[in-house]
Amino acid sequence: MDLSKLNALLIDDIPEMRSSVRIQLADCGLERCDTARNVKEAVDRISAKRYDLIVCDYNLGQGADGQQLLELVRRRKILPLTTVFLMITGETGYEQVSTAAEYAPDDYLIKPFTSQTLQTRLDRIIDKKQALRPVYQHLGERGERQKALAECDAMLAQQSRYALDLLRIKGDLLLETQRNDEALALYQSVLDQRATPWASVGMARALAAKGDGAAAKEHLSNAIGAYPNYLAAYDSLASLLEKDDSAAAQQVVEQALKVAPSTQRQRQLGALALGNKDFSRAEEAFRRTVEKDRTGFFKSHDDYSGLAKSRVEQGKVQEALTAIKEMGQHFARSAELTVRQAAVESIVHAKAGNPAAAKAALDRALEAAGTNSDIDVSASLELANACFAAGDQDQAKRILKNVAEDHQENDAVLEQAQAVFRSAGLDDEGEIFLEATRERMIRLNNDAVALAKSGELDKASAMLDEAADRLHNNAQVAINAAIAAMMRIQRQGASAELIDKAHRYITQANRANPDHPRLGEAVQLYRKFAPPDAPPLKVNL
Amino acid sequence: MSPLIAGAIHDAKNGLNVLNTWLEEARRAAPSAAIDEARAVAARVSAQLVELLALYRAGEDTLRLAIEDHDLTDFCQEVTSEVILPPGSALRIESDTDAAAAIGAWAFDAYQVKLVLQEALRNAVRHGAQHIRFAVAAQAGGGLRFTVSDDGPGFPQEVLDGEARAMDSDSSGIGLVFARLIANRHATPGGRHGRIELSNDGGAVFALLLP
Repeated sequence: MDLSKLNALLIDDIPEMRSSVRIQLADCGLERCDTARNVKEAVDRISAKRYDLIVCDYNLGQGADGQQLLELVRRRKILPLTTVFLMITGETGYEQVSTAAEYAPDDYLIKPFTSQTLQTRLDRIIDKKQALRPVYQHLGERGERQKALAECDAMLAQQSRYALDLLRIKGDLLLETQRNDEALALYQSVLDQRATPWASVGMARALAAKGDGAAAKEHLSNAIGAYPNYLAAYDSLASLLEKDDSAAAQQVVEQALKVAPSTQRQRQLGALALGNKDFSRAEEAFRRTVEKDRTGFFKSHDDYSGLAKSRVEQGKVQEALTAIKEMGQHFARSAELTVRQAAVESIVHAKAGNPAAAKAALDRALEAAGTNSDIDVSASLELANACFAAGDQDQAKRILKNVAEDHQENDAVLEQAQAVFRSAGLDDEGEIFLEATRERMIRLNNDAVALAKSGELDKASAMLDEAADRLHNNAQVAINAAIAAMMRIQRQGASAELIDKAHRYITQANRANPDHPRLGEAVQLYRKFAPPDAPPLKVNL
Repeated sequence: MSPLIAGAIHDAKNGLNVLNTWLEEARRAAPSAAIDEARAVAARVSAQLVELLALYRAGEDTLRLAIEDHDLTDFCQEVTSEVILPPGSALRIESDTDAAAAIGAWAFDAYQVKLVLQEALRNAVRHGAQHIRFAVAAQAGGGLRFTVSDDGPGFPQEVLDGEARAMDSDSSGIGLVFARLIANRHATPGGRHGRIELSNDGGAVFALLLP
């Protein structure tokens, strides 16, 4: 295979290793090869240029590893799925690489290796990437799952040699689009031929999606027994258990951490332990997340917040305040950071029995949040936490109502909101409150439709506009507001104001949830009713 | 076994890697039968150290296999291409891997299974006369069977009976212990495990069965 036209990036912190691997890459015919010495350089290069191939050493120094880097660039969507990622590892590191759950490299190579071995592997993985390209191009952020599924089926019909890879991708797509029965059938047919970890876990996920949580859990426990290194099994089991048995979920995450250390799971463990009131374990977990990574690339506000909370619960007030101070030192200034710091500080003071200091910090947090309507979910939820801790239930509920309305269709956010109620000791009240919010949002949409049908289109449109202007993350509301605007165009004729509205709300919905099942309907209406000189839509439909 | 010993095994392994690099270098400069013999010895010792480490970790309960799908055709090719035959010997490894293409991919720990199969091949090279056969086939009733057979004197009865591990007195028999361990650690959620089967049929026949 001719590799001379490919753009490659080699990432390794040790200069001798860089030059020796680079020579081996040249032996394979790869001439265009940039290098990066650390995570920062790698991220800069990957953001600036499109690479066909990335060769990365697992150990990157400063407590960072290649797996973290891969997760970071894939999650930030700066590394397309069409780029080949090859990890190089020592004999003891290979298990960690091969266990990667969500973001796995395309292949890994165990040191030492010859140029011949490198060449063979490169040929193989590049061939596979190219063969699967028709599918990959429809995956990812702006991807269209239906088209990806169609490509999978077409290639499977042609008896591709990568049939198993295609089935694996197809299974994921079926689960993502809630075609659970088909997913279950797919995994069952794979497992009838051969036992393989991904199909076992896929089977369990399909069972869980169909509502059979008990069977799913049993499947996952058996899968962990047979494949103790397969982290996806632990992750799936932990997320199932999180809903009804968070002590068991914590144990599963602890087990997974023994298999492979990961900042993400350390953070998850901290959050679970905090919820389970296992404060020393929580402190330990959060301390590891902030200490392991000396590059600063993989940390989050949550780590310092968790550290502060777990410390104050153990009576370590000064150490808790130190964690908040460190939060400020590790991240760039932003409204979210200000809110977060002040909110956690308020919680710490409230728990330490200093209501005046708690009140002062809470006021600062509320003031910083008040000037910024698009503050992120985690900062908003922290603020609600602080309000509860300071005894201001009304303010807390006002914030939670807004979050719940804004993220009405996002179960993960709603679960986090419920967790805020739970930690305030208001579990039952939270459930009622959130259910009422959900019903109110459904009623709003239903009422608007009913109003529109009974001829009061303007009134319906006004109702939806108000909601859409307030709830920027609610795709459902934005889509309905856009459709109402277009119905008015249809009946009353186009006006600049109505076209602008329709365009704005579709764009808003697309930003909130590009996969919303009703987005296509709104886009079609726009293309049908907007006059030729109307601004075009920048959506991928 | 103490962590000190595990560390020492590691050091020795790294030393062998460096030695191998020099041997490759020497072979490029001036190939000779002696260098090939040395490379074969280095490869064997290196494999034994990795096996020892795996046994140590099994004892410490930290050995976890990395089970993943692997293309069987590619895998078989890799297994046989890395085995070094004695210079000037009449031995040949005949691969019968037609079944590999039909089966496609299989889930197993390629690193460990490769070590098991290469150890078996090296054993066959040591004891075989002319022909060594390496084959892969689907098992009736599910599973995969790798077979390494030679045309030598076959396994001694004590080895077949499971009373002895070693083929001869100057070998520790770690290869078979390792093979049994890795075979057994391959399991399915349904509870099936891998195993090895030893038999004689015109020579020694070593089979690794994966679930």
